[in-house]
Amino acid sequence: MSIGGRFVSDESKGGAPKKLSTKDILAMARAQASGGAPAPAAEQPAPAATPATPAAAPKPAAGKKPTSTAEILAAARAQAAGGAAPAAAAPATPAAAPAAKPKPAAGGAPKSTAEILAAARAAAGAKAAGGAAAPAAPAATAKAPAAETASAPTGDAPKVSLEAMLAAVRPATAAATAAPAATGAAPAAAPAKPAVAPPMPAKPVPAAKAAAPAPDAGRRSLVMALLGTPIAMVGGLFSSAFSAAWTFLAATTGIATLATARFMLPNVLTEPPRKFKIGPPSDYDLGTVSTKWVAQYGIWIVHTDQYKGKNLIYALASVCTHLGCTPSWLEGERKYKCPCHGSGFYVTGINFEGPAPRPLERVGITLSADGMLEVDKSLKFQEEMGQWADPASFYEVVG
Amino acid sequence: MNPHPDLTSEVIRGIGWLYLLLFAMNAFWTALAFKKKASLSSVAAWAIYTAILGMVGIAHVTGGAQPEHFLIRMPEWFKSIIDAGAKPEIYFTLSLLLFCAVIWLRETLVKPTVAWVVLNGMILFMALSMTDYDFRQIVGKPDNVPIVAMLFIVAFFTWLYFKRAVDNDQRIAAGRPLFEQEDNDKVLVWPDLVYTEMICMVILTAVLVLWGTVLQAPLEEPASASRTPNPSKAPWYFLGLQEMLVYYDPWMAGVVLPSVILVGLMALPYIDFNKKGNGYYTFNERKFSILTFMFGFLPLWIGLIILGTFLRGPNWNFFGIYEFWDVHKLEVLNNVNLSEMVWVNQLQQPLPVAPADAGIWTKIGYILLRESVGLVAVVLYLGVLPMVMAMTVFRKFFMRMGFLRYMVFANLVLFMACLPIKMVLRWSLNLKYIVAIPEWFFNI
Repeated sequence: MSIGGRFVSDESKGGAPKKLSTKDILAMARAQASGGAPAPAAEQPAPAATPATPAAAPKPAAGKKPTSTAEILAAARAQAAGGAAPAAAAPATPAAAPAAKPKPAAGGAPKSTAEILAAARAAAGAKAAGGAAAPAAPAATAKAPAAETASAPTGDAPKVSLEAMLAAVRPATAAATAAPAATGAAPAAAPAKPAVAPPMPAKPVPAAKAAAPAPDAGRRSLVMALLGTPIAMVGGLFSSAFSAAWTFLAATTGIATLATARFMLPNVLTEPPRKFKIGPPSDYDLGTVSTKWVAQYGIWIVHTDQYKGKNLIYALASVCTHLGCTPSWLEGERKYKCPCHGSGFYVTGINFEGPAPRPLERVGITLSADGMLEVDKSLKFQEEMGQWADPASFYEVVG
Repeated sequence: MNPHPDLTSEVIRGIGWLYLLLFAMNAFWTALAFKKKASLSSVAAWAIYTAILGMVGIAHVTGGAQPEHFLIRMPEWFKSIIDAGAKPEIYFTLSLLLFCAVIWLRETLVKPTVAWVVLNGMILFMALSMTDYDFRQIVGKPDNVPIVAMLFIVAFFTWLYFKRAVDNDQRIAAGRPLFEQEDNDKVLVWPDLVYTEMICMVILTAVLVLWGTVLQAPLEEPASASRTPNPSKAPWYFLGLQEMLVYYDPWMAGVVLPSVILVGLMALPYIDFNKKGNGYYTFNERKFSILTFMFGFLPLWIGLIILGTFLRGPNWNFFGIYEFWDVHKLEVLNNVNLSEMVWVNQLQQPLPVAPADAGIWTKIGYILLRESVGLVAVVLYLGVLPMVMAMTVFRKFFMRMGFLRYMVFANLVLFMACLPIKMVLRWSLNLKYIVAIPEWFFNI
């Protein structure tokens, strides 16, 4: 209610130039109230909307944009005050709108709300306290007079509503002053509310639903359900700009995720193999660190007897355990030294200076059948986990 | 012939232009002093100094003598003293001393003449140092040019802050209105502000275009996963973080501490209860906040950026500004974990290691036992120390803030302090990690 009221008052305030401002309406209303006579009322609205013409003018406009609420209000008020029956034709058009589309919430909401409100207010203006609480729920539930129009939907709407409006107008011409006194819809409804109680028709049934149960054949309804549900579901995804936006977002995200997943499985892998041969053990002299595989495979081949006194050949991954830079082997200092944060490792791979928290990692190494050492980079052996004891992490030189 | 000569004719000419720039600046300064009716002796002194600069500059630009025989250069004894003192601990101590001196002598430093003398000293130092080959290599690297500029800019803005703050503090002490209240002539956004901004924009664009044209982009060889440049430096604005990484584990220095910095800066408005200093410069009214912020910003952030830029060389070793970047420079950096210190050095027994066939819980128990001293130290530091501080140094803060706010505040302060603490521990005790659990990638 309050939303509708604000909406209408906003529109009447700042619409097209020819619209009446709230002030004007107030002035009009006051003039009416004080004069009480139909004559001034007829005069007042004349400059703005001309009470005579609206009867003709708004009517064809029913399909188009809403004739300004202000106009309608003015017209309604003028007619209510004057009690002139033909003038009621003007409010009739807006009243027709809710009747014609019983589910206004789905469609062009602002338009119908404005129109319905206008119509309802006209009715309220006419009937005033006479149970004209229509504005209370403009879109969803049409009450009192609006309900009457809704009960006879889809058909010859303008005519029916015209009658209804006429009926509504007739009883309370004098009371009309009550409504114009308030500019917004809210105050108009407030006094009207207490009287609302009795006639509460059910919500107007949406057209589609109403159509379904009507036919006799059960088979047809089944078909409708089978076809209609998916259509309704798909339609629901695009029913408004908002849901369409979410639908598109979800679709785009889904496609992007699939593309990413596909990206993980490239057609061609240009990485060096994980498993490769590095020559016979005799290529690696005791006490040396071979750097010849660093550029290609990222490993050092170490032949040393400094780790637990055993004569071992093993492969160390050339990745610093601090932050992953590639340390360089400094032959003179007999250590691996990381250029990023200064971590240092002994020839065995054990960390001893800088921030590296753990030794370099070994990768798998075995002697293959042809007498070549074979490195398997898919295996990792961490000293701090006790994995360097694993025989797959070294090749022990015998003799 | 020496492939790395300290001086060539080209370098001498370049330095000559620097001297001429300094000459022009000081000519302007002398004229200003004369106009403002400074004492004749001081104007004369400035004039003589300016004249000497002019002559030196002209001598540089026009001289045709052999560069080897050029005399105006940084003396060797000075260079060797600087290089001998090139250690992170000395650098950090000196930067702290400088920080304290700036705070202490702020009322003297804000005097324009003093500031001008300091600026002259900085530029003269640069000009003289440029005669050294290694210094030129570091400072002249296109990467590092903005940091040289930053040195001057940070110094200027710090000076500007202190100038306004000292002025206001004196006004407050004398009971006079604040500068911001007295001099509150409001100007219009248009045209005053917009014009200023437009002029700044034009100048900045011109500088950037000139810079981009004159200095070549410091591109390196194509990237390779198995080759890391030596030294490998972060972008200049992250060099503070990189220096932090020397002392901490990646998750700590790369994740926790940066997050704490960001969250802590965001939390400042909720922690600060001192309503003074709102809308005007002051130092005396907000001593604690300003000192804390400045400590975090100047020695711990800017200071470490300078350290990382100019003083870290190959293998992330520490080099003096006049020192050759020797890849094979040997620095003894052996360090040990706290657990090793306690178990091996103090208790004379090997680190507790779970038996090979132990269950998972036994292993966890052994790890926790091994690191128990460090864990207790951390808990004491973050859990108990705030209470102690609340009862002693931060008693007033605790009263004003309440428990929760105080604990947030105290922990932020302690997190900030943990970097210098760890640095000192590394330098003094060769401590690597207080808690070292490489099994779980958890090291503090």
